Amino acid sequence: MKQFVEGAFSIENLTLFYGNKLALNDINIDIHNKQVTALIGPSGCGKSTFLRTLNRMNDLIPNCKVDGSIYYGEENIYSQESDVIDLRRRIGMVFQKPNPFPMSIYENVAYGLKCQGIKDKNILQAAVKKALVDAALYEEVKDRLKESALSLSGGQQQRLCIARAIAMSPDVILMDEPTSALDPIATAKIEELITELKKDYTIIIVTHNMQQALRISDYTAFFLMGEIIEYGKTSELFSHPKNPKTEDYITGRFG
Amino acid sequence: MSKNKKRKASDFVLNSITYLSSTVSLITLLGILIFIFGQGFKLLNVDLLVENFESQGYVADLYDNVRLCNCEPTIEFDENTYYSPKWGVALSDTTDLLGRTVVKVEFVDKDSPLYKVRDKGIGNDPIELRDEYHIIRIAFDEYPTALSRYGSENMINYLEANDSLREIEFQTEGGGIRGSIITTLYLIVLTLAFALPIGIAAAIYLNEYAPANKVTKLMRSLIETLTGVPSIIYGLMGLAVFVPLTVKLTSATGGNLLSGAMTLAVILLPIIIRTTEESLKVIPDDYRQASLALGASKTQTTFQIVLPSAVPGIMTATLLAIGRIIGESAALVFAIGTAIKDEVSLTGKSTSLAVHIWAMMTDEPANIELSATIAIIIMFIVVILNILIKIISGRYMKRKMGVSS
Ligand SMILES: Nc1ncnc2c1ncn2[C@@H]1O[C@H](COP(=O)(O)OP(=O)(O)OP(=O)(O)O)[C@@H](O)[C@H]1O
Ligand SMILES: [Mg+2]
Repeated sequence: MKQFVEGAFSIENLTLFYGNKLALNDINIDIHNKQVTALIGPSGCGKSTFLRTLNRMNDLIPNCKVDGSIYYGEENIYSQESDVIDLRRRIGMVFQKPNPFPMSIYENVAYGLKCQGIKDKNILQAAVKKALVDAALYEEVKDRLKESALSLSGGQQQRLCIARAIAMSPDVILMDEPTSALDPIATAKIEELITELKKDYTIIIVTHNMQQALRISDYTAFFLMGEIIEYGKTSELFSHPKNPKTEDYITGRFG
Repeated sequence: MSKNKKRKASDFVLNSITYLSSTVSLITLLGILIFIFGQGFKLLNVDLLVENFESQGYVADLYDNVRLCNCEPTIEFDENTYYSPKWGVALSDTTDLLGRTVVKVEFVDKDSPLYKVRDKGIGNDPIELRDEYHIIRIAFDEYPTALSRYGSENMINYLEANDSLREIEFQTEGGGIRGSIITTLYLIVLTLAFALPIGIAAAIYLNEYAPANKVTKLMRSLIETLTGVPSIIYGLMGLAVFVPLTVKLTSATGGNLLSGAMTLAVILLPIIIRTTEESLKVIPDDYRQASLALGASKTQTTFQIVLPSAVPGIMTATLLAIGRIIGESAALVFAIGTAIKDEVSLTGKSTSLAVHIWAMMTDEPANIELSATIAIIIMFIVVILNILIKIISGRYMKRKMGVSS
């Protein structure tokens, strides 16, 4: 009998096609609650695709076909009964390119809550403030909450996107190369933030940066051609890779 | 070296062509402006804007107890104006807004017996003979009637030769375009009220919901085709569909404002749909993804993220639409008619400014001056509306988006 943990994923026989193209092939892993899991692998190996299956963002892509099951807690998120909107509220997502809405900073963070039907100004204000504080952005923007989010720097925008996701108080945050568009200082801030956030959230992060994976993640999955070649504790995977392909990749011999 | 020369020569030719073409188009535009202002500026005054088109006629006689004036004029007149000291009135010959020769009242002394006359119509109300009114005839007891067609000098001479008069017929100036201005504004509001919601909704459907298949493609190309259909064909459709429809549903008896607005709305739909869709298309998919990933529904995403971002585009569509509404004449000639009216009602006939011009120009003889004046007014309205919409959308963007510029 399987153990179900809220905030953890159990992926079984996951296969995904874009039309006729096999993008994920028989994925079987468990993702742990309140840990940082890094997804690494060469370009086009299916990391983003896999990440998007976890909050069903692939539903938006026409002719994308998913087989197998993903248990989130004890719910199979690809079953008929699963409510995708509710699922996405519990599983936040941060994209590669910072993509704040063209609204004020405040509105950006409040948007998700407002969509849930929360109208009370006090509740919203408190939630926005908490999210901004948790995303380590509040001090920088507290005097300009009414200004356009687009006036922020790239790093600030990305932290705003994280705040936007946190405001929904999800259990999980998915991040697809969240620092690839940022400079080293902004990257360092986000990494620091991730280490902070993992106390409260399960974090799954796609990254091309081996050092980053090593620094911030507890578990690492190595993808190659739509398959998981190796998955395990980050420290072990990087120090004693079991598969020679993994070793080749992390030592920079290919990819 | 010769290569260089060759390039320079071809550069020179191309540059010259560019400069020449822009000069030609600039001169053309300037020419139009100069023509319109040159022809129309003379008639441009407030009276024209607030006056009725139909002139109001009165027949009146003198009150019993009034005395002749015998007063000197208090102002100076030019040589074409004739003054009667006895009666204290000055008259001149002019052409009215519609180009007819009339006898115009230039001045009435406060002590003139004609300053206040008795309306011979119902009620015998006192009425004033005002400046700018046109005198049609003055009838005397023992003298032939002075008709406007014999001119103002003749009329003044007759007045001087008589100590009393039997009756005087005069009319208000008329020829004003107040009714047409109101109709135009009505048409703008009504047409936008019909066309914007439908057009925007259609654009949203096409861009956000429609599956990418052949049917959608066909629909798009149909809409594209509709943009190019001459408006007179829409006018025929208005006559065949919207006029009977409004006649059936309302108290209208023929072409009316509502049927006109509906016809215009149909003309505008393709424009609005296309412009709106273009502006929806350029909204980054990132926004939609981010919204959906936050657990917003598709509808919430569309109406709270996508649509607000498209507002500038929709404003552009609105501006184009307004320009088209103001400028359209062919379709309206069918869908409303060409009867110039002062009393504007939704279910009645009346003309927009463009159709007013059309009516003026189809008169014999064509009234080019008044048409040019109306053209100035139309341009003025377009400019005002442009500025207004820019301001409104600027405000909106500031409030909604927190855009600081
Ligand atoms: N919408 C789509 N339609 C069809 N094929 C797609 C689509 N998205 C991705 N693919 C294909 O699926 C495969 C996996 O893509 P994915 O984006 O998951 O790779 P990735 O590992 O995230 O790569 P990168 O590191 O470059 O982001 C690629 O071969 C890609 O071409
Ligand atoms: Mg990717």
